[in-house]
Amino acid sequence: MRVLVIDPDPARAALVAEGLQGVDPLEVRQAAVFDAEALAGFAPDIIVIACDSADRDILESLREAGETNPRPVVMFADRSEPGLAEQAIRAGVAAYIVDGLAPGRVRSILEVAMTRFSLMQQLRGDLAKAKANLESRKVVDRAKGLLMKERGLDEDGAYKLLRKLAMDKGRPIGAVAADLLAFAGVLKGDAS
Amino acid sequence: MTALTLGFIPLTDCAPLIVAQDRGLFAAEGLDVVLSREASWATIRDKVMVGALDAAHMLAPMALAATAGVGEPAAAMLAPLALAVNGAGVTLSNRLIHALPTGAETPQETAAALAGFIAQRRAGGEPPLTFAVVFPFSMHMYALRYWLASAGVDPDRDVRLVVVPPPRMVEQLRAGQVDGICVGAPWNTVASRGGLGRVVLRTSKFWPAGPDKVLGVTADFARREPRQLQALLRALVRAQAWCDAPENLRELSDLLARPEHVGAEADAIAPAISDELVFHRDGASVPRLEHARWFLEQMRRWNQIGPDVDQGGLAAAVYRPDLALEALQATGLGTAALPAMSPLFDGAAQTA
Repeated sequence: MRVLVIDPDPARAALVAEGLQGVDPLEVRQAAVFDAEALAGFAPDIIVIACDSADRDILESLREAGETNPRPVVMFADRSEPGLAEQAIRAGVAAYIVDGLAPGRVRSILEVAMTRFSLMQQLRGDLAKAKANLESRKVVDRAKGLLMKERGLDEDGAYKLLRKLAMDKGRPIGAVAADLLAFAGVLKGDAS
Repeated sequence: MTALTLGFIPLTDCAPLIVAQDRGLFAAEGLDVVLSREASWATIRDKVMVGALDAAHMLAPMALAATAGVGEPAAAMLAPLALAVNGAGVTLSNRLIHALPTGAETPQETAAALAGFIAQRRAGGEPPLTFAVVFPFSMHMYALRYWLASAGVDPDRDVRLVVVPPPRMVEQLRAGQVDGICVGAPWNTVASRGGLGRVVLRTSKFWPAGPDKVLGVTADFARREPRQLQALLRALVRAQAWCDAPENLRELSDLLARPEHVGAEADAIAPAISDELVFHRDGASVPRLEHARWFLEQMRRWNQIGPDVDQGGLAAAVYRPDLALEALQATGLGTAALPAMSPLFDGAAQTA
């Protein structure tokens, strides 16, 4: 069976393609865009495409033109596999079947794709959180510096004061530090 | 507050959604709206179908095709509001323009000039010209086919019609992969400002105040949430009236120009708003049955639907002018009577 993965996000496409290698027997090809000429000769049985790819509309038109006949999974999957198409769309994955493929095989492929899509989202989320943490550490350091200068505290004392403020207000220390810096800016006339 | 997610495609006629959000018109109706920019019409349709979107900016014929289940998954959809009329056009590449006789201006003249050239190429055994549209079920597809056919071109035999996503059309015209594009605003203006071609047909000349996009919802949503739907429509008709006001042109163009909205230059967006698109005036927001009937005739003409489809019944089930009129009346933006329907450029009159 041949699977074509179309995804403008190359990292995610690689992750999906890698996951599909486990589904046997399979030949997987990935592309950023659907280019009929570049893909001539591959003749996929199923096309897995990211919902954020604009090329979905090209696949719809091939069906309309009757050149090949890629039918979207949403058209029939729910009769044999209730909820599958909806789950996939919500996960950001669409699929097209080129000709008769057993519904069970569609499910196994779509499930791999959905899992990999959410894995990618989680990885990106973790990365964003790590960046935000780093950012918050910088803000805390600046707030400490401000307290050391304005209140004559040492570094440890400044940190303890920030931590107390955070605990009193029930807010993250980074948020309290950011407020402190913003207020200091206003008092100095930055925001006027 | 009721939470709703609305989808849109980066095109100028998504303006009512963007404006209603930006100016707090949804919030004023007690709606907590999230706008979701989508990359394809197919994804818009699927997400509305499965409820991942509550409503969306939609090509008017898509709602009809989805309900009929032709070439599309069947799901009963409604068009309770037209988002805009006019706005699309055909741009031909410079190479093609230079090959055509000069002086053609009206739709009849430009179609005849193009038809002559196409016949000449065909006689010389040259490959057919390639034209790009945005989706198989779209005003663009039907306007292009009708206009070509009016001069004797068989769109299925004499030209090659391909689907290209709107933002990529300009690139393809530049690269010479297509000879002409039929697309909505702002892409014709972007192409002509970029020196890539010339606009030879505007849908406002093809069919003055002709249909293009609607708000699409599932019939199920309209049945379950009639009050939310009316609140949504009231916010949108207020936004449409704001979009039409000439004094808002600059602000509207700048708002749409943002990368998270249309993502094109404000100067390329403004012309279609001031000269072509109508969002509210003269009943533009009413999804008129004449429009639905014409789309279904075109779908039949080009074999997208069979003779068995009850066109009148389908038009009346999907197109719901009553829902738009209710919102217009509630906001005080309604008019006593809708203007008479304009005929097409060839004089073909449209009746409901």
